[in-house]
Amino acid sequence: MSTSTLPVALVDESEIAPTIRLLRQASRWRVWPGVAMALGFFAIAAIYIPLVWLAVMSFSARPLSGIPYPLTLANFSLLLGDERWVPPLWTSIWMSALVALCCMIVATFVGRAITRMRRPGPVLLLTLLPLFVPGLTMGAALFIFLRILMGLTLGLWSIFIAQLVWALPFALLLVLVVASRFDIRLLEAAEDLGASPWRRFWEIEMPLLRPGVLGAGVFGFLLSFNELLRSLFVRGIETTMPIYNWAMAASQQSQVPIIFALATIILFVTLPVMGAFFWFLFVKLDRD
Amino acid sequence: MAQLAARLATKPVQKAATGAGEEDSSPAPETVGKPILEVIDAVHVYGDVVALDGVTVSAAAGEFLTILGESGSGKTTLLRLISGLEKPYRIGALRLGGVDVSTVPAYLRNCTTVFQHYALFPHMSVGENVEYGLKVRGVKPAERRTRAREALRLVRLEEKHDRRIHQLSGGERQRVALARALAPRPAILLLDEPIGALDEKLRLDMQVELLEIHKRLGMTFVYITHSQEEALTMSDRIILMRKGRIEQSGPPTDIFDRPVNRFVAAFMGVENLLEATLLTLDGDHATFRLGEATFSGRWSGTGSPEIGSDIVVGLRAERLHVADAAPESPAAANVLPCRFGAAIYKGKYLDRTANTAIGQLKVRIWDANPVTRDDAFIWWKREDCMVMSP
Repeated sequence: MSTSTLPVALVDESEIAPTIRLLRQASRWRVWPGVAMALGFFAIAAIYIPLVWLAVMSFSARPLSGIPYPLTLANFSLLLGDERWVPPLWTSIWMSALVALCCMIVATFVGRAITRMRRPGPVLLLTLLPLFVPGLTMGAALFIFLRILMGLTLGLWSIFIAQLVWALPFALLLVLVVASRFDIRLLEAAEDLGASPWRRFWEIEMPLLRPGVLGAGVFGFLLSFNELLRSLFVRGIETTMPIYNWAMAASQQSQVPIIFALATIILFVTLPVMGAFFWFLFVKLDRD
Repeated sequence: MAQLAARLATKPVQKAATGAGEEDSSPAPETVGKPILEVIDAVHVYGDVVALDGVTVSAAAGEFLTILGESGSGKTTLLRLISGLEKPYRIGALRLGGVDVSTVPAYLRNCTTVFQHYALFPHMSVGENVEYGLKVRGVKPAERRTRAREALRLVRLEEKHDRRIHQLSGGERQRVALARALAPRPAILLLDEPIGALDEKLRLDMQVELLEIHKRLGMTFVYITHSQEEALTMSDRIILMRKGRIEQSGPPTDIFDRPVNRFVAAFMGVENLLEATLLTLDGDHATFRLGEATFSGRWSGTGSPEIGSDIVVGLRAERLHVADAAPESPAAANVLPCRFGAAIYKGKYLDRTANTAIGQLKVRIWDANPVTRDDAFIWWKREDCMVMSP
């Protein structure tokens, strides 16, 4: 098609470089929304089908067979009769709560400091590097350092340190997202209006950082609650919930039905709580 | 804190006798009572850059003082020094209401700022924003609400009391910022280019509104702007700054009609600036040689220059008159034959370039058809010819 026959209203695509022309044409295909939807459904299925299946199997008489029938509540009554899993659960809950609290406090301090630095790059890299250290490596390193080099008796305190090291970079990232968006000039405005440093922090800065700080707490809790690799190395003689589950699933075949039931209970408690929390964090606070 | 605030608080004083043309270089200008603000010999540096170079400023109670200058002239630094948000590198004294506050932190000083970027708290409603200055001063909730509503009424935003900040337009945000700064009734209100971000129509309305608020409250305003038009419209007194120094200070008419040097004249929009040689100087009556001819004008420069030294002559385009024939009255001693060049149509007036023996001059013509020919004469009154330091 020659240029002269084209109406002036249209772009002459024959003049565009071939690769760019191809991209332009590809971007016009009508299949893209369909592709996006298919991928989305696949992701959701990959996440929830195993979870739902686990819940279903926890009611199965023979969970390892993969056949739900016959349905039974025997696994749950077995679980309630067995009390060995209760202390690890409480250990994990308290541990995770403590890790979450420390994550919130430390991440707030460090996140604020980093956003006020002139060259935050090196410090940022240093604090986020633990994200890329494999769990086994970190656990082994901590064990060698604390137990062999320092000769300390490992226990809850070392589990706490290992989990904090793991959760803190995530918490810090969440705080950094809000802290870097915070307009420091608002603090000047508050100072100008007569607010003391303490009031400036609590009345101006903290309310605007709050979503990030609360998020840091939630992720701190979740990461700590599910942490296995590092805790295994530095546990001493202590047992957390993931360690207990892992030990049960790995060694004693007869305990597997109980694990199914336990996982189902934890799932049904944590999912609504997390759902409510995220709703509060991103919908309710936003609306106000 | 409360004690200091009480000491700093001043009753709204009725407008002091300003515009008397006092020189600002002396620490205590002749105004009624003591000056409410005195900045003496302030020096400030950012790294290697000198932002303020020995600046001395004072303001009388109730005065509308404008600090005028282009960006980088140090005007915002001066304002931040007064508010306390910036610690001066060196300062002789900084007195608010007679009390030296140069070492007092910003939150204990009884002055508030309207920021150019507004800096409204996004997590608070309009009302909470306005109340904040009162809240941190420990004012009771009931009184706080009344006073916040009063301040909002003053800026005509009472009905927006419960809105969120992001629901407001730019002009409304600006007025909320103003109400928030006014609510604590500071001794001095500092305004940092507060209407610079608004569109032209809104800016003109806000100028009038600010003037009315200033008149009603009798508060001292220190206003920063880079717009000579804003400065001329609103101020009792203008301080023109350049590179951290004060070039000239005085009432608007002084700065406008009697600039001390080429920079001030150019900043205040004098279109025709010419270099000349001084011939005689008697009082403010100056004669000078420009090209081949001799003219006379009014001296407004600094000091007493030597005869024969280089000076600058300023002629405003709108003070040049054109005529078909050379006028003969003695008032028009300054006459030049000219030939008209290009014309730019501006609606209300016409800007024309006139080629003369002393160079190209810009002439503003308000009448529809004052000259019929291209060859004509330009003349101006002696007192409209500004003779100043280079």
